[in-house]
Amino acid sequence: MDDTRQRIVEAAYACVARRGVAKTTIEDVAKEAGMSRATVYRTFPGGRDEVINATVAWATLDFFARLYERIRGAESLEEVMERGIMFAHRSIVEHEVLQRVMQTEPDKLLPILTVESIRIREGIVTVLSPYLQERGLAVGVDLHDAADFLARMVLSYISAPGRWDLDDPNQVARLVRSELLAGMVIPERSR
Amino acid sequence: MERSAGALRVVDVDADAPEPGGTSDPGSPAASADPAGPTSESPHRVRIIDGTLACLARHGTVKTTVDDIARESRVSRATVYRAFPGGRDEILGAVVDTEMARLFSALGVRLGTAGDLREALVGGIVEASTRLRDHAALHFLVEHEPGMILGHLAFEDSDRLLATASGFTAPFLARWMPPHDAERVAEWAVRIVLSYAIAPSDLTDVCDPVQADRLVTTFMLPGIAALQTADAGPIDITPYGGNRPDPDRPVSSP
Repeated sequence: MDDTRQRIVEAAYACVARRGVAKTTIEDVAKEAGMSRATVYRTFPGGRDEVINATVAWATLDFFARLYERIRGAESLEEVMERGIMFAHRSIVEHEVLQRVMQTEPDKLLPILTVESIRIREGIVTVLSPYLQERGLAVGVDLHDAADFLARMVLSYISAPGRWDLDDPNQVARLVRSELLAGMVIPERSR
Repeated sequence: MERSAGALRVVDVDADAPEPGGTSDPGSPAASADPAGPTSESPHRVRIIDGTLACLARHGTVKTTVDDIARESRVSRATVYRAFPGGRDEILGAVVDTEMARLFSALGVRLGTAGDLREALVGGIVEASTRLRDHAALHFLVEHEPGMILGHLAFEDSDRLLATASGFTAPFLARWMPPHDAERVAEWAVRIVLSYAIAPSDLTDVCDPVQADRLVTTFMLPGIAALQTADAGPIDITPYGGNRPDPDRPVSSP
């Protein structure tokens, strides 16, 4: 992302954090970024919608950058997943802007998030595939199938934990070793 | 989906007034000879609900009026209001309740007639996924009024949906495992249905029994076995809506 795009997206994020999606105009974003409306439109010809979409995409990339930071140095697939799930769950719960917009303007955010969740799922597949491959797949399990299913489930748990307490390391360890990995990898003790 | 608690209300027999086929006495035999059929089982309600579903599949909630519903259901406006004095909002509520009841009763048949756990999981996933896939009104709303549907699929509301759907499913699965494991497994199955319903996969069509069976036998059955392994130790069940221990749900190991 070049410098101008970056500045606009960060400015848009600040505006949304203060006023929400509906009340954020291109005028506000330009003022916040310290540039003209014309520059914003030149960078984002699609106008407000394009800026908002780019802002959500930027927030997603930022999330993955921090996720990579968090799982670096993990020694096993299990550890990567435990760290990643706990971090992702906390990030969502503690994400003030996300939570506020979800409360006040779900109509504005949900369609974008639904599209974005496809990209997030692909991101999770990219993160986990090498670890799955290194760990060793169970007989008859295809890497793409396994990674896609795993990413779907991870996305489901981090956005709605249901009966699981994702702040409890013991529960997360149990979740990872049962519902998430049991069918797809070689059992730990037989390695 | 929070309406689902009253899901069965709609299929109860109600004291709906018969269609007055003009100016005649509503209680007269002539009035009972309504094209909707026997009046003792509130034919108008079901007819109006199905008419509304057809309207929703074409125009969504915003553009559907009581007149549209009456025309589509081939009853008079007055009949619609007699069956649903609350008008449009009451009808839309009844549509949600009815569709939930239809989904859950079909699901109940599949789960209840299954001979083993594998069959129950595959049958339940295929039944629910197919009904969601083929639901024209649901698709129109997701496409054109996303806030209406997607709101139930995100974060806290999604937890509520998981609780409702897995609460229904768990007792059927408890034939093959301890109740607290059945709750987790039911929730897991609901997650699978929702994930593929929201974002269909090129890799796996969960509406196809063969592919659903592959998914269940490859990923779910080993996962369920791992949930139940004694050496993993007992696990606290987190009640919905908080992390406080639930006194009504004692923790026990398999």
